Amino acid sequence: MQVTLIWATLAAILTLAVYSFLYKDNPFYKFAEHLVVGVSAAYYLVIYYYNFIDPNVISPIFKLEFGGAPIRILGMQWWMALIPGLLGLLLYARFFPKIGWVSRWALGIYVGGYSGLEIAPVMQARVLDQIRGGSLPLVVPHDPSTSFTNILLVVGLLGTLTYFFFSLKHKGVLGVLARIGIVYIMVGFGASFGYTVMSRISLLIGRVDFLRQVADSWIQWLAT
Amino acid sequence: MRTHSPLVGLALILALCAPVFGAEGETAPPAPGENAPPDPVTLLSARDYLDNNDNGDKIEVTWCLSADDGGGAGDVLEYRIRRSSGPGVAGEVVGTVPAGTTSFLDEGVEPGEAYYYDVAAFDGGSESAPAETGPVTGRRNFFQTSRLPVLVLAALFFAMVLTFTRLAQRGANLFVRRIPGLTAVEEAVGRATEMGRPVLYVPGIGEIDDIQTIASLTILSHVAKITAEYETPLIVPTARSVVMSAAEEVVKEAYAEAGHPDNYSPDNIRYLSDAQFAFAGAVSGIMLRERPAANLYLGAFWAESLLFAETGFETKAIQVAGTANVSQLPFFVTACDYTLIGEELYAASAYLSKEPKLLGSLKGSDWMKVVSIGIMVLGIVLSLFGVTGFAGWFFTQ
Amino acid sequence: MGLLEKFLQIDRRWIFLAIAIAVVVPFFLPMGLPVVVTKPVRDLYNAVDAIPPNSEPLFISVDYAPSTIPELDPMTLAVLRHAFSKDIRVVALTLDPAGYGLAERALESVAREYGKERNKDYVYLGFQPGIAAVVLGMGTDIKGVFPEDAYGTPLSEIPMMDGIRNYDQIPLLITMASSGVIEAWVIYAHQPYGARIGAGVTAVMATDYYPFLDTGQLVGLLGGMRGAAEYEELIKHPDAGVRGMDSQSVIHVLIIVLIVLGNIAYFGSKKRSQEAKEPAA
Repeated sequence: MQVTLIWATLAAILTLAVYSFLYKDNPFYKFAEHLVVGVSAAYYLVIYYYNFIDPNVISPIFKLEFGGAPIRILGMQWWMALIPGLLGLLLYARFFPKIGWVSRWALGIYVGGYSGLEIAPVMQARVLDQIRGGSLPLVVPHDPSTSFTNILLVVGLLGTLTYFFFSLKHKGVLGVLARIGIVYIMVGFGASFGYTVMSRISLLIGRVDFLRQVADSWIQWLAT
Repeated sequence: MRTHSPLVGLALILALCAPVFGAEGETAPPAPGENAPPDPVTLLSARDYLDNNDNGDKIEVTWCLSADDGGGAGDVLEYRIRRSSGPGVAGEVVGTVPAGTTSFLDEGVEPGEAYYYDVAAFDGGSESAPAETGPVTGRRNFFQTSRLPVLVLAALFFAMVLTFTRLAQRGANLFVRRIPGLTAVEEAVGRATEMGRPVLYVPGIGEIDDIQTIASLTILSHVAKITAEYETPLIVPTARSVVMSAAEEVVKEAYAEAGHPDNYSPDNIRYLSDAQFAFAGAVSGIMLRERPAANLYLGAFWAESLLFAETGFETKAIQVAGTANVSQLPFFVTACDYTLIGEELYAASAYLSKEPKLLGSLKGSDWMKVVSIGIMVLGIVLSLFGVTGFAGWFFTQ
Repeated sequence: MGLLEKFLQIDRRWIFLAIAIAVVVPFFLPMGLPVVVTKPVRDLYNAVDAIPPNSEPLFISVDYAPSTIPELDPMTLAVLRHAFSKDIRVVALTLDPAGYGLAERALESVAREYGKERNKDYVYLGFQPGIAAVVLGMGTDIKGVFPEDAYGTPLSEIPMMDGIRNYDQIPLLITMASSGVIEAWVIYAHQPYGARIGAGVTAVMATDYYPFLDTGQLVGLLGGMRGAAEYEELIKHPDAGVRGMDSQSVIHVLIIVLIVLGNIAYFGSKKRSQEAKEPAA
């Protein structure tokens, strides 16, 4: 018997054990759940060590490598990777009340660094390009359907932005726009909900397909 | 003495002047390669190419056409551009362009390295004497001018946030409208008190540095003060150990401020599991066993959101949720009695705490929305009149 | 208790059973329902199709974990099949450590189908940690971020990678992502460097990225197993995506029917209880 068939069968049994919860909570489900929690914790520990800690901290310090290849930054010294490593360790100081304040330095550098890296591109991608995308012509000559879509989009955009405006009460025109906005938001949520249902069903279909393939393999093996 | 015939004299004069007057057709044109090479190009120059995404790896070489380009002896067929690392060093051909072209873009140079270029005209047989220029170095742009709109808007946003924060610090009354979801939170706690059952508060599964978790802890403080006054048990399960310690501090302080420090029970602030669905299972267990009458889900949630909302719905608890994770909002909206949508979570925490930084950033982002709407509306109005340049200025690619 | 109230109180296990039947039966009784191709998928297909054969390679970033295999694997395989059938070269990489094996498996299985050779028709760069750093680094120098391929061969020794310095030489990069990595590609590759980015995402995330599609930040978008089915339809090579569509359609119809019935039952029973409360005339 092929070894892969044994492992695939084990996976199929565990899948069925998890799905048995749909009928009633039972020891098989509990066993499968505890197994996945334990195995995934160990798996991610190994993944994080070999894919994050080793290439980012251990290798640069001890082997002057980054990602398994020699570092090409001129003048890079081994202790230069030590500093980020120490900052990372400082984050754990928050568990010791007397020196907990030290972790704020590391957190500050981490949050500040990432914010700086993200502000300009996010401002461009999430704000500027969306403003540009929203500045649509309301009347497109000889194209009534695009005109209609543009009007719908612009009205929804203005309404939604107004709904999330907190500096004024939602009264009068603002109130009307906010109401339009919440209708659009709910329609959007409906679409998102539908997509999510589709996604969950797709995952179920994938698992059923897998079970079918395992059953097929068994049938073929038994027939030979 | 007898003189030559005048016709002979005329022919002699014409033969002598033919080269001066360029009489074409009088003599057969020289075959290519037999004659002198074409004239070299003039005014050759090379400079670092400036474009929006310049990495310093492009150099533009320009020249004036060879005198033999476009007719005349030694018609130029193409120009050959060579690049080398030193003057007089034999370089490699990096490109050829047809006759009539006066520029070439050399892509793929190493930024920061000096190069020398020479350009020679080629007529099919021989090359002109090369004209050389250099050294020229490709440099990365210091400032991408196409990104100016980003700088302007970012600077405007920061200015607004800082101004409002400063105003709040000085005690100015910055108006924030009351979020309806907060009333729902207080009603939920009130109902739990009436029924004599606990309140369950789940601050999400985000880390402590997630802004949603921070907003959630602010609201937790407010809820803890109410439960302290009404002596309603408050259960706070967490998925992160650091969030648990932060929640402990917040609840303890809230109970002390409300004047009921002895009602605080540290056993009710529980760290359950880091694993997403293990946490979901454990919280569902709490709901089924301890039967809280009010479930509050405020913070960062992912796929476990539906599990919470469904289980809570089964136990007939009143449920209020709030998250900025857009993909989870539909589940909360469907199964909960009230939902704080996206930014309402942050607005609620700013409204409750009146913390200057929270208020400042809320007001700053509010007025940024006004600016965005203004730009869009202006862009739309101008496009009605056929003016698209305004919106185009924001196109940074 | 009236019929409406009984329906509202129905044991949900009957619904689970109905869904289970709706999933399993179409596998054994395929209906061959047509798959209609939508614009975002067609746009991505056209973008891939426009790449000239045996020239600058298509980059595919396999950024998903095993938990989303049913949705994202079929689209990865479909895009690879499209590329290899047109002799378009492919360079694959991954920003997710769990995606390393998935990328390798997909690449090798499709390459075998089309008789493609590693380092001649396709290159596998493997995994590099530090999402933003990798994406930004590729904008300057790809060989600086991936000095070797996944098997230790220096990129400078692979003829296919000659002249491929940064995004300027990449005609299209498609990311198959089950997390926010796709934002990193748009924000750090498209915005600063003008890289052309396409995406394949789980259906849950698809709605989040439609704004990027509208503004041209994404060239095209495949959403969930449906997106994979549409792409398979375009390349005329039905596989797991199309196979799952029958079940998907049946379950969606079932869910719609249940929602409609549930709403009728809810509003009907509400009206009935209101009428019962009104005093008799």
